[in-house]
Amino acid sequence: MAETVWNTDTGEAVYRSRDPVRNLRLRVHLQRITSSNILQYQPVAQRGKDLIDLATFRPHPTASGHRPNEDEEEEIVIGWQEKLFSQFEVDLYQNEAACQSPLDHQYRQEILKLEDSGRRKNRRIFTYTDSDRYTNLEEHCQKMTTATKEVPSFLVERMANVRRRRQDRRGMEGGILKSRIVTWEPSEEFIRNNHVINTPLQTMYIMADLGPYGKLGYKNYEHVLCTLKVDSNGVITVKPDFSGLKGPYRIETEGERQELWKYTIDNVSSLAQPEEEEREQRVFKDLYGRHKEYLSSLVGTDFEMTVPGALRLFVNGEVVSAQGYEYDNLYVHFFVELPTTNWSSPAFQQLSGVTQTCAARSLGMDKVAYFSYPFSFEASFLHEDESAEALPAWPVLYCEVLSLDFWQRYRVEGYGAVVLPATPGSHTLTVSTWRPMELGTVAELRRFFIGGSLELEDLSYVRIPGTFKGGRLSRFGFRTKTTGSVTFRLHCLQQSRAFMESSSLRKRMRSVLDRLEGFSQQSSIHNVLEAFHRARRRMQEARESLPQDLVSPSRTMAS
Amino acid sequence: MESMAEVHVIGQIVGATGFSESSLFCKWGVHTGAAWKLLSGIREGQTQVDTPQIGDMAYWSHPIDLHFATKGLQGWPRLHLQVWSQDSFGRCQLAGYGFCHVPSSPGTHQLDCPTWRPLGSWREQLARAFVGGGPQLLHGDAIYSGADRYRLHTAAGGTVHLDLGLLLRHFDRYGVEC
Repeated sequence: MAETVWNTDTGEAVYRSRDPVRNLRLRVHLQRITSSNILQYQPVAQRGKDLIDLATFRPHPTASGHRPNEDEEEEIVIGWQEKLFSQFEVDLYQNEAACQSPLDHQYRQEILKLEDSGRRKNRRIFTYTDSDRYTNLEEHCQKMTTATKEVPSFLVERMANVRRRRQDRRGMEGGILKSRIVTWEPSEEFIRNNHVINTPLQTMYIMADLGPYGKLGYKNYEHVLCTLKVDSNGVITVKPDFSGLKGPYRIETEGERQELWKYTIDNVSSLAQPEEEEREQRVFKDLYGRHKEYLSSLVGTDFEMTVPGALRLFVNGEVVSAQGYEYDNLYVHFFVELPTTNWSSPAFQQLSGVTQTCAARSLGMDKVAYFSYPFSFEASFLHEDESAEALPAWPVLYCEVLSLDFWQRYRVEGYGAVVLPATPGSHTLTVSTWRPMELGTVAELRRFFIGGSLELEDLSYVRIPGTFKGGRLSRFGFRTKTTGSVTFRLHCLQQSRAFMESSSLRKRMRSVLDRLEGFSQQSSIHNVLEAFHRARRRMQEARESLPQDLVSPSRTMAS
Repeated sequence: MESMAEVHVIGQIVGATGFSESSLFCKWGVHTGAAWKLLSGIREGQTQVDTPQIGDMAYWSHPIDLHFATKGLQGWPRLHLQVWSQDSFGRCQLAGYGFCHVPSSPGTHQLDCPTWRPLGSWREQLARAFVGGGPQLLHGDAIYSGADRYRLHTAAGGTVHLDLGLLLRHFDRYGVEC
């Protein structure tokens, strides 16, 4: 104790515990540093922290020169809601006339018993428990500002009420009828319970009587050392925090005789036995393990896997909307084209769809038709031809927008295509469309009156025609007109054994190409491994089917 | 490989905009494929009736909290919605059907789900304008499957807004990138 580092942080700290709060034990140590005449002579010392340290250092030898008698120093271990009487209370309750409530009488009995046995373990430190009058009063009259008079607001009143009424709150929670969601005539009780937070809270104050020697038992000298609050969820609020290594707290008394006190608060709750803790952990582990097993048994763990060397692409998509078209009552015809090389799709997959016909509504400047049309498909990519240097082509989504009129005539409104996103995740694609156009008013008139117009014979003409062979694609001489756009929302998933390895190596997203390289090597290694496993299994089976004495000849020899 | 792939869907149906009707409520449900198992949570529900006071957005803030486990990627959870309106006589009339896939990438997603409703003949349209009512789907599965949609003639409705948070577990062990 050569130097004292004061802990000036008196804010509250929150702890959580699953154990019953009655196991909570605190050790409070209170010591008088000085009858601080020195502080009065050194007003400068109160400004800087270093100087305060000096100031406190100086009187220390004189303090320790004295016999550390009970009046100067006190240490006590306090349990949760343990009542320690102050000198004031001892004096008060010995007078029977002062006792009004049953609690007062109970205190009187206890005090008389203590006085008889002379075993009062505290002098200066005492407590106010949850049932004490002080606790209610403190909560009610606590001042937050320097205002001369604080009028408690509606909320303050309610909160005080809540805390006081915590005992009979428990029953209420279950009592509210589940079927009635809205109460049209809230009762007084209902309002009290529901207008404020309703976590039941228990409070305890650890106090100190810092009166001068021989003048214990005056209310003015009472100081709060520590406030403890515990709610039913096991949240323990300590204000100020346990001292630990942070050094003691200080109290300077006011008045003529300024005195400096220091105190520490420590958590000395007895820890659970290691074997007990271990058992508890084992029980929990067992419980969680069994729950997990149960869940696994519900689902099964044989997750659907890809063939080695293949990439599976899952697309969950929707045709969301079509906007900006000339005629009303739109429908969208779409399909997915898989590139001819390397891609395949399960036979049952539907790679095309036709939405319903939807009458558009106006949204801002545009007319929008909503489809919310779901589609999902899977396709797999198998890189068989390693020699080919070309980039793997990706599937393409083609769409065609048509309108249907009252006379059941249809008109082509637009063509569009988009390459499916190569990265997994959610994507919103807006596909702008165009339609073939004929020059001249006659064609437009025909389109208006008769319906029908120029159409593409082959939808693949939207991108690269299927029949196209050659070096340059020219569309010269083909006239189109910009029409509206179609919105798709796609959620893509990719699955491959290659990703399992790369994710274990913590490689993050690179280009799909990089990740798929060496597919063929990988698959050949896999094939070798598979063959090895098969051979081994056959050997084991052969072993088991052999007579026992043949397998272990040494044992038969020994016997 | 003894761990199963799990998906948590946590979020809310925030509300709806763009409907011509005023007092709206929403029935919702989640449909999954055969490989999926709902471990906890409620698969379908219905919101309260909300009457917007300012603007045209009806707020429901209806919670969705689902926990799935799966054996395969097919049949990813899909959310289907039915928006209804209730008039002052307590009659309910259909305002729109909506659909959206539950996203497959982890994180929070703000989804706008547009809706549609069957239009019916011009007589029915006229009747709907004056006395309400109107045709509804005979089988609810047309909302979340596309097979027979081409038979329908519909009108665009409003939009339902959703906030969904996705948590995925153990998908990386099976080589799935999402």
